[in-house]
Amino acid sequence: MAYQFDFGQVVSGEYGQWLVSGLVTTLHISAISIVLSLALGTAIAVLRLSKVRPLVWFSASYTEFFRNTPLLVQIFFWYFGSYNVLPNVVNEWLYKRDFEFACGVIALTVYTSAFIAEEIRSGIFSIPKNQLEASRACGLSFTQAMAYVILPQAFRVIIPPLISQFLNLIKNSSLVMTIGVMDLTYMARQIEAHTFHGFEAFTVSTAMYLCISLLVSLGVNLYNRRVLRVRSH
Amino acid sequence: MRKTAWISTLVCLAVLCAAPFATAGKLDDIKARGALVAGVKDSQPPFGYVDEKTNQIVGFEIDLMEALAKRLGVKLELKPVTSSTRIPMLGQGAVDIVAATMTHKKEREDQVDFSITYFMTGQKLLVKKGGGVNSVADLAGKKVASVKGSTSEQNVKKAQPDCTVISFETYPEAFLALKQGKVQAMTTDESILVGIKNSDDNPDAWEIVGDYISPEPYGLGLPENDSDFRDFVNMALMNMWETGEYQKIYEKWFGKGKKDYLPLTWKMELWP
Repeated sequence: MAYQFDFGQVVSGEYGQWLVSGLVTTLHISAISIVLSLALGTAIAVLRLSKVRPLVWFSASYTEFFRNTPLLVQIFFWYFGSYNVLPNVVNEWLYKRDFEFACGVIALTVYTSAFIAEEIRSGIFSIPKNQLEASRACGLSFTQAMAYVILPQAFRVIIPPLISQFLNLIKNSSLVMTIGVMDLTYMARQIEAHTFHGFEAFTVSTAMYLCISLLVSLGVNLYNRRVLRVRSH
Repeated sequence: MRKTAWISTLVCLAVLCAAPFATAGKLDDIKARGALVAGVKDSQPPFGYVDEKTNQIVGFEIDLMEALAKRLGVKLELKPVTSSTRIPMLGQGAVDIVAATMTHKKEREDQVDFSITYFMTGQKLLVKKGGGVNSVADLAGKKVASVKGSTSEQNVKKAQPDCTVISFETYPEAFLALKQGKVQAMTTDESILVGIKNSDDNPDAWEIVGDYISPEPYGLGLPENDSDFRDFVNMALMNMWETGEYQKIYEKWFGKGKKDYLPLTWKMELWP
């Protein structure tokens, strides 16, 4: 029995629409999670460098905890585990909404922010320490010194590793299909189930992931060169 | 070095292309081998599951395959498959036949052939007793769980466009979502829902409701374009029905008083 290749069936008509709607969901969940994880990751990194002990402990354990547990387990934890600890009223309120998508965003954000925090911390370390001291000596507060002097420089340094964290997030977003978020991978699986043309469905979705990743990479690099005027390494 | 890479690539390609044509006639292959290799489910009671006591795969579909092997005069070998591996394994020739709760759909005809229907069921809803959902109409604005790799999702969406379907990897996860109140119903073939309901500690808390959302005729998956083998399987199935052997196997798994009671309400297509 020879396998009958049929890309037409997968990319046109109803199945084509499935793939497009899956692509939109993947872009949607990735975009939200990237923005949130960058913000959260920066906050965690700054906390770790503060002088307040409990905050340092908190951010250190946050990073180690979420960086060292599998993302899939975290997704199930937020989705199925939360049921037992939240009050029933809250659960009912949540379940009437798009709880699946929200859990996906939370899991991706928390997981990726732990990695981003580490990147940002190393970026901050790469800025000579006396810059912080100088800023403080000029009368800036710790937050001001971070926001206006240290972080803008640190971000330039860590753009390449940050891109790879973003790309990881986009690829990791395929795991949210396990809790029923209808992303690109989910749709490819559905098409496979309906038509048995798994080879074509997964080839097309692979190409789509590749395109997203390359575009993100290209976009950030261009921003780097044009706006920040940094030479790529 | 480059030459070696080229040659190995070519060899791989040759193997990939040749593999599908390697089998001439399944019927001859099976008889020469002395064994029928059947792809079956191993976690889908009562169709195919691992018996806790004997550690063997047992079930309705296994008995059916046993009866087929007897007619072929060979012994039966079982290979566990899942909803996503059953077609590739059949295509590669890793199994001769697939008996794995597979709905016969037109779109699936591209890749494999099907026998006549050997089990007829339909898609229904499993809900919490007294939860306010008694039919597909009641699902408006509510969430329904289903399982990936099945066709249940689209069917329920067509019957009630105003509901949200959430698909999980396995049936236990979908049932957990129902238990936790994340969804108000779960939907799949009635025959599978019966098994899920009975797997709960308190089966009476749940009920299967509504009319059939869609008919789900199960067919045995057979290698594409091997009509000798397909004829043999179809004749064997009809013969099992006519001699009452089919009904006996059915009674054993779905009969009155059995855990997964499901009355036999359909007739096999019998050619005159």
